[in-house]
Amino acid sequence: VSLGDVQTSLHDSVVVARLTGEIDMSNAAGIEEAIALSTPNRALAVIVDVSALDYLDSAGIQLLYQLREQLQVRGQSLRLVITSDSPAGDALRLAGVLDQLDTSPTLEQALEESPGGAAE
Amino acid sequence: VLPPAAAELAPADQIRSLNRLSDPALSELGLEEFLTELLIRVQEVLAVDTVAILLYDQETNELVARAAKGIEEEVEQGVRIPVGRGFAGRIAAERVAIFIADVDHADIMNPILREKGIQSLLGIPLIVEGALIGVLHVGSLKPRTFGPRDLAVLQVAAARAAPGIERARLYAALEQEHSVAMMLQRSLLPQQVVNVAGVTASARYMPATYEVGGDWYDFFELPGGRFGMAIGDVVGHGLKAAALMGQLRTALHSYALEDHSPAQTLQLVDRYMRSMPESSMATAAYVVLDPDSGLIRLASAGHLPGLIVGGESTRVLELPSSPPLGAFPYASWTDHEAWLSGEETLLLYTDGLVERPGTPLMESIGRLQSVTAHASSAEEACELAVEQMLPFARLRDDIAIVAMHYGTVPDELDLKLPAEPPVLAEVRRVLRRWLHRHGIPEQDGREIVLAVSEICANAVEHAYSPTSAHFELTARHPDDHVEVIVRDQGSWRSPRGQNRGRGLTVVQAAMDDVEITPSDSGTQVVMRRRVQK
Repeated sequence: VSLGDVQTSLHDSVVVARLTGEIDMSNAAGIEEAIALSTPNRALAVIVDVSALDYLDSAGIQLLYQLREQLQVRGQSLRLVITSDSPAGDALRLAGVLDQLDTSPTLEQALEESPGGAAE
Repeated sequence: VLPPAAAELAPADQIRSLNRLSDPALSELGLEEFLTELLIRVQEVLAVDTVAILLYDQETNELVARAAKGIEEEVEQGVRIPVGRGFAGRIAAERVAIFIADVDHADIMNPILREKGIQSLLGIPLIVEGALIGVLHVGSLKPRTFGPRDLAVLQVAAARAAPGIERARLYAALEQEHSVAMMLQRSLLPQQVVNVAGVTASARYMPATYEVGGDWYDFFELPGGRFGMAIGDVVGHGLKAAALMGQLRTALHSYALEDHSPAQTLQLVDRYMRSMPESSMATAAYVVLDPDSGLIRLASAGHLPGLIVGGESTRVLELPSSPPLGAFPYASWTDHEAWLSGEETLLLYTDGLVERPGTPLMESIGRLQSVTAHASSAEEACELAVEQMLPFARLRDDIAIVAMHYGTVPDELDLKLPAEPPVLAEVRRVLRRWLHRHGIPEQDGREIVLAVSEICANAVEHAYSPTSAHFELTARHPDDHVEVIVRDQGSWRSPRGQNRGRGLTVVQAAMDDVEITPSDSGTQVVMRRRVQK
């Protein structure tokens, strides 16, 4: 069984990538590549839903920063779906980066707050 | 003139010798040995130079040389004679005995008979219940007149041998189906024992003596470090049941990987079964173990109750009765919960292990419970079940047994681990179980696991050699805090770049106290965190 998994879907102009399982240095690069490959040029934003992850650490945070950098080059934005009491929430809070990333508590809110999302 | 050996045999002795051919034991020899035995006796009794048996191949309407004495080439070359042509072909077509006094002047299709210098031939059809199964013929290198008495002897041999041939042939066909089905079974059932954070599994499969069945077992890792174990029994036997078993096993495994609960998983397998063109039925049970806590969730579709053995008190996991899979259109199943303590083993099995004529089922299950009561591993539980429960007679039904053992977490962790990225997930699993066992609150535990995994990732990343580097991890829980020490053989590198810098930030934020001691032989990191009692 793979340690972590990613499922992507397209909602209008927004790519939603839902992560499950665990993400550490053994699989972070593959997950990042999978998200980048599922993001078409015409997409305006990417939402990474980390609320269901069982584990995320600094390798996963690095993944999110690199992904954000890549997307910025194409003028695409990144937003996370994250709940404060989740394992991914622990990692971002302890690393002190929660306020450096755009986050929403639910997917619905993330879509509303993303350019090209359902609300627009 | 008959040779002395044969001449001395009175007709009654000859018949007695041939009668032995109908001995049912001969059919268990297998077709090859049976035919060889038959030819030797015919050759002795009739004192002939050659004997051959050709069997009828219904698909091609040909006779195929199957066994021979004196003209072995016929079999080696796989001679095939169309029914209706030549000597043997005419016997088969007309179903009459044919005597040829002089081969040189007869219509002989098979060149081997002529090349061998055979002068005279006598052949008869082999018939069972009105159906042609082959031709038996004898030959003489010297011109010989086969008389009515020779014919009578040959007919007795044919009458005695034909059912034996047919039995042996059916047996061979069954054997082939059996071995195909066995191969199918073997290829589908996992052989390897899994070991996930102290959880080990073991299993056995035993086919019935004559027929393969539809029993299966399965065990696998699930997302989040959980562990799945399944068992099932397709109603029916033979290749068809074995093939369906393969499909159901695959379906259950696939749905299970999608993280459905045991009851939902069974529901989906049931839907899959009922979508198949042919209706079928199966019992099954599916269990998911959370290694952190020992919680098992299980659902059963009409399957026999599981057993928990190896601990202080053994128990039968009797669930409310439930329908089998594939049987009813609106059936549904329920998840149940149970707990495994350290060193306990959960045992699942199919009915072949416990169903005995004349013994109540629950009595048999009770016996299984008592013979496996002190099993100290999954392997031992399987071993004891097989040793103590299997009948001495032939197995009437196939048997599957699968067991998983929930090992105790030691008071203090002391691990030596290879410095490779995949080991990190294993470290987290073991640590989670250990923290859970010490009653560490969930949030404290999660942050400790995060910090330790970060430090281990650092050890893996900076392993001093690309081959066979190791690192050590110890964990203790004295008084009101948790202490974890990670030692590696690499040299500490101060965090470079954002990534590792963030890692160390996480560790320092998660733990109350972090000491990093680099030395020539490696780096030691001691981490402590106060936890609620």
